[in-house]
Amino acid sequence: MKHHTLSRTADRLYWLGRYLERAESTARMINSHTNLIIDLPARLPHGWQPLLDMTDSHPSFSSRNQPPSERNVVRHLTTNRDNPGSLANSLDFARENARTVRENMPRVSFEYINDLYLYARTGLSGALSRSRRNTVLDGVLTRVQQIDGFLSRSMLHNDAWSFLRLGQFIERGDMTTRIIGVAAATPLAGKGPAEPYQQLQWRSVLRSLHAMQSYRVSVQEPVSQPLALDFLLKNPDLPRSLAYSLDSIRNSLRRLPRNEQPLRACNRARRNLKQADVGSLEGAELLSFIDMCQLQLAELHDFMGRTYFHPRLRVPKAGPRGRDGPHQGIAKC
Amino acid sequence: MPIVWKHYNADGLWDELITSSGRARPGAGSLCRNLARLSDEELMARKEAAELAIRSMGITFTVYGGEDSGSIDREWPFDIIPRLIRKREWDHIRRGLIQRVTALNRFIDDVYHDQKSLDDGVVPRELVEKSKDFRPECVGVSPPHNVWAHICGTDLVRDADGTLYVLEDNLRVPSGVAYMLENREVMKRVFPELFEAYLIHPVDDYPDQLARTLSSLSSRRRPEIVVLTPGVYNSAYFEHAYLAQSMAAELVQGSDLIVGNDDRVYMRTIEGLIQVDVIYRRIDDLFLDPEVFRSDSMLGVPGLMRAWRAGNVALANAPGCGVADDKVIYTYVPEIIRYFMGEDPILPNVPSYRCVDKESRDLVLDRLDEMVVKPANESGGYGMLIGPKASRAERNRFARQIRANPRNYIAQPMLNLSTAPTLIEQHAEPRHLDLRPFILSGAENYVTMGGLTRVAMRKGSIVVNSSQGGGSKDTWVVDLE
Repeated sequence: MKHHTLSRTADRLYWLGRYLERAESTARMINSHTNLIIDLPARLPHGWQPLLDMTDSHPSFSSRNQPPSERNVVRHLTTNRDNPGSLANSLDFARENARTVRENMPRVSFEYINDLYLYARTGLSGALSRSRRNTVLDGVLTRVQQIDGFLSRSMLHNDAWSFLRLGQFIERGDMTTRIIGVAAATPLAGKGPAEPYQQLQWRSVLRSLHAMQSYRVSVQEPVSQPLALDFLLKNPDLPRSLAYSLDSIRNSLRRLPRNEQPLRACNRARRNLKQADVGSLEGAELLSFIDMCQLQLAELHDFMGRTYFHPRLRVPKAGPRGRDGPHQGIAKC
Repeated sequence: MPIVWKHYNADGLWDELITSSGRARPGAGSLCRNLARLSDEELMARKEAAELAIRSMGITFTVYGGEDSGSIDREWPFDIIPRLIRKREWDHIRRGLIQRVTALNRFIDDVYHDQKSLDDGVVPRELVEKSKDFRPECVGVSPPHNVWAHICGTDLVRDADGTLYVLEDNLRVPSGVAYMLENREVMKRVFPELFEAYLIHPVDDYPDQLARTLSSLSSRRRPEIVVLTPGVYNSAYFEHAYLAQSMAAELVQGSDLIVGNDDRVYMRTIEGLIQVDVIYRRIDDLFLDPEVFRSDSMLGVPGLMRAWRAGNVALANAPGCGVADDKVIYTYVPEIIRYFMGEDPILPNVPSYRCVDKESRDLVLDRLDEMVVKPANESGGYGMLIGPKASRAERNRFARQIRANPRNYIAQPMLNLSTAPTLIEQHAEPRHLDLRPFILSGAENYVTMGGLTRVAMRKGSIVVNSSQGGGSKDTWVVDLE
């Protein structure tokens, strides 16, 4: 009996991958932003607002009519149930998706996912205090990584695995470009006395993508916007770069049936990235390039849905076959 | 204070581990000594370890919390003191179960075909045809091997004198087997050293045996098998996922399946539509197919009955097999066994009164305070009257219900269910229990080694259902020879 992946299962695994990745990114972003704020002198008007931009959580935040203070923003991004993108919700959704597809993963993986969920349910509010924030959010990071490591070492690298990875890397590409977009749209300062802080800002971006050390090793120059952009978007060896995400998406798609459309979309995005001289982009140009990357990821996401999750299928008509007739097999649409 | 067995007092009832003189039953000595050796702290540590294992393994069941609260996931309640059954006794039980389930399957097949047993008056025709689980839609259908109830969970109880009775046959969608398997896993984590002293028969071949039974329902060499679940909010969803995973079968919901105009069943996959050969369905008959049964069912698959009747898909259990797990029909099972098997029943029924017979009804109404009254087809312990514990008002209400609809009720004298030591805080206290083994029938028969032992955790209670505060124990079938 060949194991078949249900469309619904593929959908859930894809979202499990997305939510776990989203939780990890969010935790890391909050940590590195906190770090940045500690480094900045109080006179610089750079508050907690950018965190809301990076996680796209404006609508749910402003509906509550509150100032973007540290406590409010961090609460919104961690424990707030009204924010669909909060850590608490991401982990809830991850667990709920895992729960409905647990038979597709090694049994212990649900234990780990459940453990992360329980950790979040009891511990996340600790992130509101600056002194405990780092530890609490690190707890999320290490647990996500434990799940990730466990799955990659013990799960069959079959279709189910491909969908998990696709969710993970589409989300990661989206997050990486979003973080870069926010940094580009809200520069700490232009010229003048704030100059050193621009470096600080890109260092923070690198850190939020867990790429500071890698940058030092592979770029070997002081941090600057053009070099950081090139590194974070185009370096094929950096696990959180856009290039790496697109390559991983392509590798996963190649193993799936009926992959023509999504694969074409992925290749198109990869080609655009390759041809762009991202280091030279600034201001509005940079923003519109980032927008294009995000649109291409969104298109890829749509193709996943149309191809695998909610395809339109042709249902077989009455035929002459009897009980022991040949297997109907696959009906292509 | 650690467990002291001579202070353990089962109040004159039959206890599964300890005799009335406070000694361990044959075979239980090593287990009892081991437990008595543990300090309070060690006992509590084991108990906590079991709770932790259950929480982290995600062993849950879902309870319906009423309209406002929706459904809640609860961790599976588990007692760390195992229940022991000697292999020799088990072999006897096993033979009895196979005899019983084989007879029931022949009876169901007869009901939907020639109805010889009804003509011969083994079971009154009216009783069968008026049963709310009799499905005219199934008449004339011949499932593979003429087997209808492929998976059966039979509840066994022991009375104060040690006699084991069949309490009921669950032939529709019996649940609990995954908990039986998980209980063993938890025990192995928590009390590894106890396993050294015994030859305990393993239980973990059940998923393979289930897959084999289901495969035998298709003529294809490697059939496509799926488990059909109502979804994550069903109380047994944990089990559905568990079994699908252990069999490497797809776990599907109604919306994943579609029946073509060719009367075949397909599932929606990332490759397109794939034909399904065998469906282990965990939803009730009436929700299976909105074209035939409840038209408002969102859980089922339109056209499923067409496909089944055409022989293009096997359903396990077959629709309509609930006709034999009606509690009134239950009272006829000894006759059914004699009629179809030409043998006396190996396992006795609990003595039962059919309220539909005037004489029995009068007797039941007269002695309602000594009886357990059960409606014909409810499960989960709902809708029962436990006479000795009920208030006068409840008894009066039941008396009225029985008079209004006698066909719907049977009554049994209240049994003094056996007990087993159960850890309540740091003490071993007797708690009532039952046992649900699972019997598979396809091309061959298979019976689990032991089964799921359910315990009423409340003192004196005999309601073991997890939805009503019941717990469970690992069940060891042990070789003493």
